[in-house]
Amino acid sequence: MKRIFFRRLTGLAVAAAVCLSLAACQRQTEVKTQIFAMDTVMSITLYGTDQKACEEALNQAVDRIYALEALLSVTRTGSEIYAVNHAGGEWTRLSPDTAALLEGALALCDLTGGALDVTAYPAVRAWGFTTGEHRIPSSAELAQLAARIDYTQVEQNEDNSSVRLPQDMELDLGSVAKGYVGDCLVQLLESFDGVDGALLDLGQSTIQALGPRSDGTPWRIGIQDPAGEGYLGVLELSGKAMGTSGGYQRYFEEDGVRYWHILDPATAAPARAGLAAVAVAGPSGLVCDGLSTALFVMGLNQASSLISELSRSGYEAIFLMDDGSVALTPGMESSFTLAKGYEDREVTVLP
Amino acid sequence: MNQNTKIILALLALAASASAAALLIPKEGSRHPVAHITLDGELVQEIDLDRVGTAYSFQLTGASGLTNTILVEPGRIRVLESDCPDQICVRQGAIADGTVPIVCLPNRLVIEIVGGGEVFDAATG
Repeated sequence: MKRIFFRRLTGLAVAAAVCLSLAACQRQTEVKTQIFAMDTVMSITLYGTDQKACEEALNQAVDRIYALEALLSVTRTGSEIYAVNHAGGEWTRLSPDTAALLEGALALCDLTGGALDVTAYPAVRAWGFTTGEHRIPSSAELAQLAARIDYTQVEQNEDNSSVRLPQDMELDLGSVAKGYVGDCLVQLLESFDGVDGALLDLGQSTIQALGPRSDGTPWRIGIQDPAGEGYLGVLELSGKAMGTSGGYQRYFEEDGVRYWHILDPATAAPARAGLAAVAVAGPSGLVCDGLSTALFVMGLNQASSLISELSRSGYEAIFLMDDGSVALTPGMESSFTLAKGYEDREVTVLP
Repeated sequence: MNQNTKIILALLALAASASAAALLIPKEGSRHPVAHITLDGELVQEIDLDRVGTAYSFQLTGASGLTNTILVEPGRIRVLESDCPDQICVRQGAIADGTVPIVCLPNRLVIEIVGGGEVFDAATG
């Protein structure tokens, strides 16, 4: 009897030792990098069991970002978007990436009834958001600019391989480009056997997670308080993309009024619809990115009916209102928590 | 209980607590908030913000030729002045935790805080 007890104990001790060594090597290889691209700072973190594969994947991911930036930049003279904007009303051939992104972007413009419009670039420039030399255009100028914002004027040929714009219009895919980059990177990383998961922080407004963290728990994303220095809440994100739009990062002030870079395509002026920020999570980075901008422009009423239609496709949203309150779509409830010091914020769950 | 049993029980307890510790102890050794300042990806300064007694400021000039004046206070750090065109870094104000880094894109300056407070995987806003 004693002998059996003794053997069992030995077995347990061995099991504990195995457990200990597993705990020690459970930490998988993690590789990360930070780069300046697409007018922002991007941080990429990958993990997996194969160090070589992770390093190779990271290198290829960075190359892919630079390659897409070179195609999609609105300011670089060699980019495809620059070529489209300077084609003088003629057709321009697009690479498959630009064509796919444009097709997705125009579908989103349609879906949001023009609250997202990829032809607002001349207005963004008129406000000085492209150069930092800010100014407030007159109401006559704004009316003129608003009349030139119309995504339905963007013509694609039958197989979407070429595009044509009216002469006085310009295309800017900035509101969806980083989301599309996230989608491309996830596709790339999934093709690597030794890469198990990743977090792509493509400049705060666009975040994409491939799988959960290496310990199996979701990634924890801090959501900045639009009116303060700290974070207001935490979103748990796993295997999804996330896009955020807010009026508190790129803005200028004049005579005590704040003017931000997210313009309402209908007025060519900063969108003021009672929202301080909107975050959208869902399967596609492109959609999350563009949708967060559109929902910010729409305001809560219109936005909540659109997002509830999209919930069956897996899209959920967090609305941070100007008055400090928070509204969540039902599917967000389990993954969002208020941070310490913000527990008294009013949180509404939308129908 | 004989001697062997006791030894094995003791080993068992040790192994269990060691594996628990290995799983539970966070990777970050220090809970102090430490500011990492990089210019174009190169680490130029590390400042333990818990060890800052009195506020001080200094200047950093990047390859772009732009200069950021950085103000270090106990527990927080900010860009006080910058000759960049967009002033986004100045307007962001002070940071005290790892949520959102301060970024001056024109000068390729990044100020990030590691340790201290809750450590997030990323931040949005």
